[in-house]
This record gives sequence, C-alpha cells and structure tokens, in this order.
Amino acid sequence: MMSGLKILLQQKKAVAGLIIIVALCLMAIFAPVIAPGAPSARVGRSHQPPTVEHVFGTTKMGRDVYTQFVWGSRTSLAVGFATGIAITVIGTVIGLISGYAGGRTDAALDLATNAVLVIPNIPLLILLASFAGTVGPLAIMTIIALTSWPWGARMTRSQTMALRNRDFVTAARMIGEPAWRVLFVELLPNLLPLIGINLVGSIIYAVVAQTTLEYLGFGDPLQVSWGTMLYNAQNSSAIILGAWWDIGAPAAGIALTGLGLALVNFTFDEIANPQLRSGPALTRWLRLTRQRNRTLRSA
Amino acid sequence: MYVSSRRLGVYAVALGFAIVMNFTVPRLMPGSPVDAMIAQLGPRATPAAIEAIKARFGAVEAPLLTQFIDYLKGLATLDLGVSVKYYPQTVVEVLSRSTLWTLFLVVTAITFSLLVGTMLGAVAAWRRGGRFDTVVSPFSVVMIAVPPVIIALTALFIFGVSLRWFPVGYAYDPNLDPGLNFTFAGSVFYHAILPVLTLSPYLIGEFQTTMRSSMISVLGEDYVTMGRAKGLTAATVMLGYGARNAMLPVLTNLALMLGAVFGGSIVTEIVFNYPGLGLTLFTASVARDYPVIQGQLLLMTMATLGANLLVDVVYGVIDPRLRDASA
Repeated sequence: MMSGLKILLQQKKAVAGLIIIVALCLMAIFAPVIAPGAPSARVGRSHQPPTVEHVFGTTKMGRDVYTQFVWGSRTSLAVGFATGIAITVIGTVIGLISGYAGGRTDAALDLATNAVLVIPNIPLLILLASFAGTVGPLAIMTIIALTSWPWGARMTRSQTMALRNRDFVTAARMIGEPAWRVLFVELLPNLLPLIGINLVGSIIYAVVAQTTLEYLGFGDPLQVSWGTMLYNAQNSSAIILGAWWDIGAPAAGIALTGLGLALVNFTFDEIANPQLRSGPALTRWLRLTRQRNRTLRSA
Repeated sequence: MYVSSRRLGVYAVALGFAIVMNFTVPRLMPGSPVDAMIAQLGPRATPAAIEAIKARFGAVEAPLLTQFIDYLKGLATLDLGVSVKYYPQTVVEVLSRSTLWTLFLVVTAITFSLLVGTMLGAVAAWRRGGRFDTVVSPFSVVMIAVPPVIIALTALFIFGVSLRWFPVGYAYDPNLDPGLNFTFAGSVFYHAILPVLTLSPYLIGEFQTTMRSSMISVLGEDYVTMGRAKGLTAATVMLGYGARNAMLPVLTNLALMLGAVFGGSIVTEIVFNYPGLGLTLFTASVARDYPVIQGQLLLMTMATLGANLLVDVVYGVIDPRLRDASA
C-alpha cells in the first residue's frame, strides 16, 4: 500500500490531480471561512458581471455566485465521494462473492451484473427520480449507487476468479478459515489496486450522473450545489443573456473535479497495468532506441 | 452468425428488469401519481382517459398479477398508454416523432468518434511514450470525466451565442419545409454540428483509451514483428496488422457505452433544444408525463439491447476465433 502511494507521488500527473482534489476539498471544508454569509442571500442586482465586490458576479436572483460556488462544492463533492464509495462497496462485495463462490451463485450474480450493465443508466435514473419527485442529496446518492455498481463488480469478479485457486487461498481454506475471512482478509488486500481504480472511476461517474440529474431539475432547489446552480442558471436563460459567469463558475468546478480525478485515475491505470505506461523511463528508452537505430542506419 | 445463449439470457433479463421497474415503481411511490396526472389533464380528463391512466398505474381493484399480465399484453401490442401532456396522442406517437432525430445524432456522433478515436489511439500506441502519446492520452481520460452538460453549455456559449458560428437550437431552420432537397439537408447538417461535436469528446476519449491499450498488446505479437521484418511500410503494419486486430475490444466497449451515449444525448438535446427523445423526455418529466417517461426507458433499453445484439453478431463475423468455437 505504502509503495503504491510512493509510485503515485512520483508521477507528475497524479500529483497535479491530487493537488486539485485536495484544494477543492479544502474549499468545501472551509466554506464558512472563505465565503462568509448565506449562499441564498440576495446581495446585489440581477446578473451583475464580476466586480471587486462580487468576484464571480451575481445570479438572476441577485445572489453572489462566488458564495454559491464555494458552498455548492460541499454538496457536490460530498455526494460525489459518498456515492462513489457506495458504488465501489456494492460492486466489490458482489464481484468478490460472485468470483469466489462460483457455480449457481456466480451464474445468478453475473447475469444480474451484465443485465444492469446494459440497461441505459440515465433514462433509468430519470424514471426513478421523476416518480420520487424532487429528491434530496441522499436520494440522488441511493439512486445512482443502485444503478451503477456493475462495472466494478465485473472487474472484481474476474480478478477474484484469477486469485481463487492460488496456494495461499487454498491454504487458508484448508486450515478451516470461514468463507468471509478468506474473502475479506485473504483476497481483499490483493484487490486493492483494482478497488482504487474502481473507486476513482465511480466517483467520476457519480459526479457526472449527479450533475446530469440536478441539471435536469431533479435536485432539491433549496440545497445549493454545482448541479442546481447550473439548473438555476439555465432556467434564467443565463447563456442567452450573456451572463457567462453564472454558468461558468459551477461548470468550472465540475470540470476541475473531473480533471483532478481523471489525472489520478490515469496514473492508477498505469500502476496496475505497467504495459500502458508512458512515463519518463519509457520516453528515455524510446529516445535511446531511436538513437541506436540512427547510428545503425548511418553506419 | 453466432450469439451465445448466455448473452441472449442477459438481454432477456435486462428487458424484463426494465419492464418490471416500469410496472412497480409507480405503484410503490408515495402520493398517487394517478391523481397528479388527472390534475394535469384538467378539462381534457374524459372518463375514458381517466380509466386508461388508472389501469396503467394500478389504481384499480384487481390482483397485482392480473394487472401485470394486462400490462404485458399492452406492451406486446405496442400499447404504451396515452401521453398526459399531449393527450389524446399515444406514447408511441409522441416517441416516434423524435426517435429519428436522436438516432441521427447518436449514429453520426458514434461514426465520427469511432474514426477519430481509434486513429488517435492507434497512433498513440504506435508512438508510445512519444510527444503525441503524452499529450493525447491523458487528455482522452480527462474528456471521459467531464460531464456532457459542461461541454454542451460551453460549446453553446462560445460557438452559438458569442461567435454566432452555429445555430443555438432546433434541428433545422424553421423557415424551411422538410423535404428531400439540398437546402433542407444542408440545414439539418448545419444544425447537427454543435450537438454532434458535444457528444463526441466523451466517445473519442473512450475509444482512444480502449484502442491504445488494446493496440499496445497487439503490437507485442509475433506477427507484427514478422510484418516489420518483411519490410512492410509502417502504415501497412500499423493499420493492416495492428489496428485491424486491436479494433475488437473497441467494439465490445462501444456496445457497453451505448447507455451512456443515450444519457449524453438527453442532455445535449436539452441544451441545444434539439427535438429528439431527450428533449421529449425532459418536457415529459417537467410535466410529470409518466407514460412517456416509461415508454422512453423501454425504448432506450430496447435500442441498447438491439445494438448489443448487433455488436455480438458483427463480433462473430470479424473474429474467426469465435466462429471456430461455435462450430
């Protein structure tokens, strides 16, 4: 685990991604300090462009976009991370059980995994959300988690199947360890890199899905988040009126979150699968080969 | 042609799941959606309409199983109920108006992204570690992580509102009469550019990533070394030996991504006011037009399953190893 962290910190891309994510999280945690005042307070005229007083301008309702942006990060990041964790837990548990149990349990779970995988997610989310009416962050989290676990389950299942018949697992079984212990104490630690990839990917997916649902108006309008900011801006025709700051601030927040997470995930992928690597070592090797080829040709 | 019975089982379960969801969710929700819909209908709520809505959403005195069988019978005869917002039009009528536009948008975006994405992936793998690879590959991963809403709104603002290069809405110039002529086709094409370009980054990112990793492992195969040793040109080895065989995982990925593509097209259509299924779904969800929302889920599920089946068939045709296994 520590060595994995070390590799991660050696990669420029991963460090850049981590810095972005940590900065956004700090902003969310210290919202009361860096943006004092209620995000829903009307503090200015409608759609004022950015000024010294309102650095990100104001919304149609005369609310300060900067305050909303900072406070909105709380809901957006919290729901994104919590949902990502929920998706990963469900997917990992189902994948582990399915891959380890084999037989009928595996057949049933694998069938369910593949079936939920091919059902288009967003239309299903919209169906659930529209019957539930306006839904709060917790409901959005549950709906997304229940429909998006199959990716992780599939990855975990195939990896578990590859590990299942290794000697250390057979040994653990033979000394009479119960199945849950074999699964969570013997197998799980070996799946950590995979779970890491799954987790970051799931958070990315959760942020995308949450934004989409809230943009479509299924979020709680009283709860400030980047998605509901987009929804409100869209409803007040901010783009057509040229109030780019109203859309730009939440859009930048979401895009930055995606960028940070993607950079971390890219590195995770390279760690788990060295074949994909394109880091400095590889570049150096390529340069050497090219040089050698050139000298060979000129000789 | 060969599709395993296992795959067919998966599709049957997926379709069954969507149908059961459609049937159960409205019956489980607190607060009867039936009353809300009848209120929506207002003065148009004839006794026949109220009866139809009640039957569909379970506000009738009948055992659940009978209700479910009636529901299935309705589906089998393509009866998806009546729209609440566009009453007395049926759901099938409402959906069929917009299906073609979404299909046009999605197919164009997929074709375009498949060409661009696989080329970028092939070149990145061919020159792995080179400048092209170090710029394009991380960029692709980032593109997957940015929600389509953000890309759509940014594109709309920059190219539609500020620069005025492209129209900001509709599928064609409303002053034109739909018909098979160059002016109309040109207008349709012109109006599709921004939506297609909005849908593409995610797809290109996915295709590039899959193609790159699959191409890297193909390029390590002996026959590729053999091709090089024979003195074939780089282009022949890259495209004929490498890319051609590396395409298979990309196809699998395409089938799994279709659901996400539909999700993206919903958002894109709303942002660009494009008259496809997504916009219909949005107006339906604002008006709480449950029959249309349900029909939409069924239609998109069937489209995804159909496309998956098609990919399965194509896969069997282009991968000889699968054919041998079935023989």
